[in-house]
Amino acid sequence: MERAGIQIEDVHLSFGDTQVLKGVNLDIKPGEFFAFLGPSGSGKSTLLRAIAGFGPTPQGRIRIGERDVLGLDPWKRNVGMVFQSYALWPHMSVRDNVGFGLKEKKMPTAQIRPKVDAALDLVGLQHLADRMPNQLSGGQQQRIALARTIVVEPEVLLLDEPLSNLDASLRVQMRRELLRLQRQLGLTTIFVTHDQEEANTTSDRMAVLDGGVIQQVGSPQALYDAPANLFVAKFLGTANILEGRVEVDGPEARFVTKTGDELSLPQGSKADGSNIVLRPQNIEIHREAGQNALPGTVLHKEFLGSQIRYLIEAGGTEIVVDQSHSVGLDWYEVGANVHLRANTSNAVVL
Amino acid sequence: MSQQTTTPAAVRAGLADRLPVWLVPRVSGLHVAALLIALMLVGLLLVPVAQVMIVAFQDPATGAATLQNFVDFFRTSLFRESFWNSFYVSAMSVVVATAIALPLAYITTRFHFSGSILIQSLGFIPLIMPPFVGAVAMQLIFGRNGTVNLLLKDNFGISIPFMDGLNGVILVQSIHYFPFILINLSASLRNIDRSMEEAAQNLGSHGMRLFRRIVFPLAMPGYIAGAALVFIKVFDDLGTPLLLNVNNMLAPQAFLRISSIGISDPMGYVISVILVVFSILSLWASFLFMRGKDYATVQKGGGGMARRTLKPGEKVLAYGVVIFILLVVLSPHLGLLLLSFGTIWSFAPLPDGYTLANYVTMWENSKTFIMNTVLYAGIAATLDVIIGTAIAYIVIRTRIFGRKGLDYLATAALAVPGVVLGIGYLRTFHSIDVPLLDKPLASWWVIIALALMIRRLPYALRACTAALQQVSLALEEAAESLGATKRRTIQKVVIPLMTGGILAGFVTSFATAAVELSATIMLVSSNNDAPLAYGIYLFMQTPSGRGAGAALGIVAVIVVAIGTIASQIIIERDKKLKSSGDVH
Amino acid sequence: MRRNILSSVAALALAASPAMAAGTITVITSFPDSMTGPIEAAFEAAHPDHDLEILNKKTSAGVKYIQEIAGDNTADIFWASAPDAFEVLKNDGMLAAVDIASEGIPEKIGAYPLNDPDGYYFGFAGAGYGIMWNERYLKANDLEPAREWSDLAKPVYHGHVGMSAPSRSGTTHLTVETLLQGDGWDQGWAQWKRIAGNFSTVTERSFGVPDGVNTGNFGLGIVIDFFGFSSRASGFPVDFAYPTVTALVPANIGVVKNAPNEAGAVTFIEYLLTPEGQAVLLDPAIMRLPINPATYAMAPEGFPNPFEDATIGATVEFDVETSGARYNIVNSMFDVMITYRLDDLRTAVGAIQSAEGAYAKSGNAEARAMIDEAWALIDANPIDEAQSLDPEFAAIFTKKRTKADDEVGERQAEVEQKWDSFVVENYRKATELAQQAAGM
Repeated sequence: MERAGIQIEDVHLSFGDTQVLKGVNLDIKPGEFFAFLGPSGSGKSTLLRAIAGFGPTPQGRIRIGERDVLGLDPWKRNVGMVFQSYALWPHMSVRDNVGFGLKEKKMPTAQIRPKVDAALDLVGLQHLADRMPNQLSGGQQQRIALARTIVVEPEVLLLDEPLSNLDASLRVQMRRELLRLQRQLGLTTIFVTHDQEEANTTSDRMAVLDGGVIQQVGSPQALYDAPANLFVAKFLGTANILEGRVEVDGPEARFVTKTGDELSLPQGSKADGSNIVLRPQNIEIHREAGQNALPGTVLHKEFLGSQIRYLIEAGGTEIVVDQSHSVGLDWYEVGANVHLRANTSNAVVL
Repeated sequence: MSQQTTTPAAVRAGLADRLPVWLVPRVSGLHVAALLIALMLVGLLLVPVAQVMIVAFQDPATGAATLQNFVDFFRTSLFRESFWNSFYVSAMSVVVATAIALPLAYITTRFHFSGSILIQSLGFIPLIMPPFVGAVAMQLIFGRNGTVNLLLKDNFGISIPFMDGLNGVILVQSIHYFPFILINLSASLRNIDRSMEEAAQNLGSHGMRLFRRIVFPLAMPGYIAGAALVFIKVFDDLGTPLLLNVNNMLAPQAFLRISSIGISDPMGYVISVILVVFSILSLWASFLFMRGKDYATVQKGGGGMARRTLKPGEKVLAYGVVIFILLVVLSPHLGLLLLSFGTIWSFAPLPDGYTLANYVTMWENSKTFIMNTVLYAGIAATLDVIIGTAIAYIVIRTRIFGRKGLDYLATAALAVPGVVLGIGYLRTFHSIDVPLLDKPLASWWVIIALALMIRRLPYALRACTAALQQVSLALEEAAESLGATKRRTIQKVVIPLMTGGILAGFVTSFATAAVELSATIMLVSSNNDAPLAYGIYLFMQTPSGRGAGAALGIVAVIVVAIGTIASQIIIERDKKLKSSGDVH
Repeated sequence: MRRNILSSVAALALAASPAMAAGTITVITSFPDSMTGPIEAAFEAAHPDHDLEILNKKTSAGVKYIQEIAGDNTADIFWASAPDAFEVLKNDGMLAAVDIASEGIPEKIGAYPLNDPDGYYFGFAGAGYGIMWNERYLKANDLEPAREWSDLAKPVYHGHVGMSAPSRSGTTHLTVETLLQGDGWDQGWAQWKRIAGNFSTVTERSFGVPDGVNTGNFGLGIVIDFFGFSSRASGFPVDFAYPTVTALVPANIGVVKNAPNEAGAVTFIEYLLTPEGQAVLLDPAIMRLPINPATYAMAPEGFPNPFEDATIGATVEFDVETSGARYNIVNSMFDVMITYRLDDLRTAVGAIQSAEGAYAKSGNAEARAMIDEAWALIDANPIDEAQSLDPEFAAIFTKKRTKADDEVGERQAEVEQKWDSFVVENYRKATELAQQAAGM
């Protein structure tokens, strides 16, 4: 199967007066598992639909492989899309659903059957071929929808929130299966989700969208460790953001919070930025004051099993701190005065 | 003995307090309500119809029970022919009505098309004209020497037999009843999740193939519901064939035989039985077909039907088609309008001159008709939505024994021709006197309202059922968990949430009751009690009254049309209100 | 609030129920509002203490209605054209014999006695059947008005004629019966079937005929005179003529048995026969022939006066008893032979007419014989006059079981099916013969 990349250049799209996509640029490599991550209304689904050819035609350029597909009818794009609702046709059997695309391609019936069987086999549901969709569970419907899409051998596979209608345990199982299938078929795949865990666990690279603008593109780890802005920082994992300013004194640099507390920064840090991003697992709690420590008060604590999550008022804000739990560890009581020591060696100032 | 000390005021308060128990059933009252409704349906539907039907099973000579009459029916070639004609006309009306409704439904639901709401509203209007009035107007436009044929003859020397014999019945019926298909099909089309279509497009399907393989099959339940209604209504309808002087159909045969002087032969009753049985069978067949095919496909994360923007060429074509269809289906109204403003219209494409005199005559003579109509249709529609809501609630939300039977019985009214009900009422209620008024119940005006109520109950029931199905059980449980009694919950939560559907039911019942003639023509016992449709009928019986009758018809259409459009707007607003709380 | 709604509904209910004045007279009538309106107004002006309550029903439905409510009668007066309908009611014991005081009313109109000899019903206006035509229609189709019944059977009028069915309209029944009595049973039916072969339609209501002529749906109609007069008076381009063989018959009024207000009913009937009451008949929307000869002095120019012009309706001596004896048989025969089989009949007569046309050119004797045979098939009746007057046979159509062991030999459906097979077969053969003859 041919692997196609997708290039998106300066794509703009409006619904009436509302601008939904504001100059999107992306280069998705052939065979890549790529995620669009963002909150509702960020434009991620709209972008996906624009690639598939649904909705109004945007301005800009969208190329799939060597073809410029902008303005092309959806049925001419050879793009496979799996819908959030699965969109299995209730009046057709599973076999007819899966065979639909092949029939539309005028493939002889004799060739359709083995292909459909193979696709159903791929998702492990060959035994359900003669059922009607409303006799299937959500997970089964999801797999049938997937089989229906890949049986026509599209150049790229688009998945629109494919896991959102499944329950939690099934979701984990399905996302592994999706990844297995993607690797097996080597299909260029775009996966739209608002769940960072899904994006993190499956994608090679991802784009975080907000307000119709791509905020950052990169591998899940790169985005987590080095968010390009506060939105990305907050959207990916839990982030404590302290307001203040950077003071540079020769090679030394430190971050001064609103409350006047100081945190030293790695040498050579630049003076721009008025927020420091601290991940909860990079902060330690101590009873006594010390170097690079913020005084604070415990507001709340939650036992999460492997961790204890504290909410501590410090540096003019409420800070989330995670402590690994081990047997015999003593807990800080609500109301206790504590000092937070942050590991600022790879803290991000924005 | 303490009860005897209660003051009259307290008694009255108690009465006022007790009334709503059956208006708005409460938990223990639900059984009582179910029982009351069942009794009412038996008394106002089952017994009167049985009174008519029983004659069909009696030997006319001896009164003994027999099936001989049915043997006679099938041995009589005229009846076999009538049966076949009725079947043919009903089936063809479904075909023609589909040809009218399908493009309208498709264009207004699938494309960005300005005027969609207007078209949907206009599409409802044919339903609110009494079919016999439509037949008169259609004769003037499409008749042998109507506008169209006169113009064709003058210009091309040809004429087309639109209105000859069964053709005329088919044309008038399909124009009158196609809204049933339009409404149901449009609703079905709108409920198709856009992803259903997009998934097919994504897999290479488009255009007519997409419509044929995906869109239409998904809209099938709505289409079948509408088509079954059209079939049954046409099969049962009496007024149109009679007005067009077509006798070789079942309903006219039944009427001619039952209402003619001295003919006490049972054939009219046999035909009534066959009409009812055949209608029930058709309803049942459509239910069977639709079972398990409830494709309510709007799902979480999906949207309604995807609307496409038309290309300029397509737009011209679409407008052309829509305007042509509207012109055809509104031609009875155009004809009626011309007639109402015309002086003399005889063997000419248009009236000889125009005048307002008809409206003056109409206004002087028909205030009573209009008042009566508003009163009867208002009572009928109000009772319909109350009973409809109660039945819907009992059927959907309770496990009361026999609740399905209640639903079936109320729906069965659909299969009872108006004439049969009218005759049944005369038979049943003539011997019952109204207390205080000292006259038979059958000649009291209230009986007309009750007949209309029974006739329109199926429509209201469907609307209320649909509305209740959209009210999540969780909302009710939430109210109950907060300490509200069942009755309070129904009053404060369920009914307000059903408002849109109830209103739709009210309007449909009101509008169609306002123009009903077939049952009322048997029951009106004094011109002072006559409703509007009867008034038009009276006007149209004299050479000088045609224009005034037409003017009254126009008034009826305008009044009901305003009501319809207003309710459409309210329903749309209601929909938006509900969906705005639904964003995820 | 709820009580307010309830009480206003109650108020509405009261407002909508008819006023229960002491002098309310309930009238069941087949006459249109345009006729009853002016009469009601004039009567109530002359008798302010009385209130006329009009209930409009077609004659046949009105008879049926009175029969249905007889157990607990609420109607005072039955008021309609067809004397036969009154005969039916009288024979069923649904009418009351009352004394009516009047002055200057003759015994007969045309050849027809005005009042029931037993005093059960009374004539109040005269009417005669005739032919009405639309002038524009005739001009466009290049036709002359037909003046006689036999004219209507001419080939030129094929597809241009309309008529109602006797079973649907009491007055139409009169016309059919008049011709049957005037020309004789066989000749009369033959005439009707040959005319019916030219029908465009058989209308369901008697008003359907003037309506069809007025709109130009068909060109000529067999109608009662006042439909012609009032249509013309309303401005339609139509006209009307009495053929020679016609009967002038009275339109009638009678008091229903056990009437709640018999005295009021008598007052109304007496008023109708006074010179003032008679004068209202000349209202342009009514145009019925008054039965008080003095009233004609007030008539507009050109209005026929049967009391001076002896040619109108004098030919046929209408025999009410004969008519009553076979009332339902005639209705049923007309429906079976004409109404329900109009297509077959029209095809057959049309075919014979073209065969006649072909014969006129060819003069082929064999063709002539076949044409005559075809006509004979059309003309043939399933029963003869003697059988039509046989009370036992008539009972099949009128049977009312009085006792559970009453026996009636045949069922109406059986008889009608026999007739139907008879005429369908005859029409089919006639069509075949005519087509063969046309080819010669």
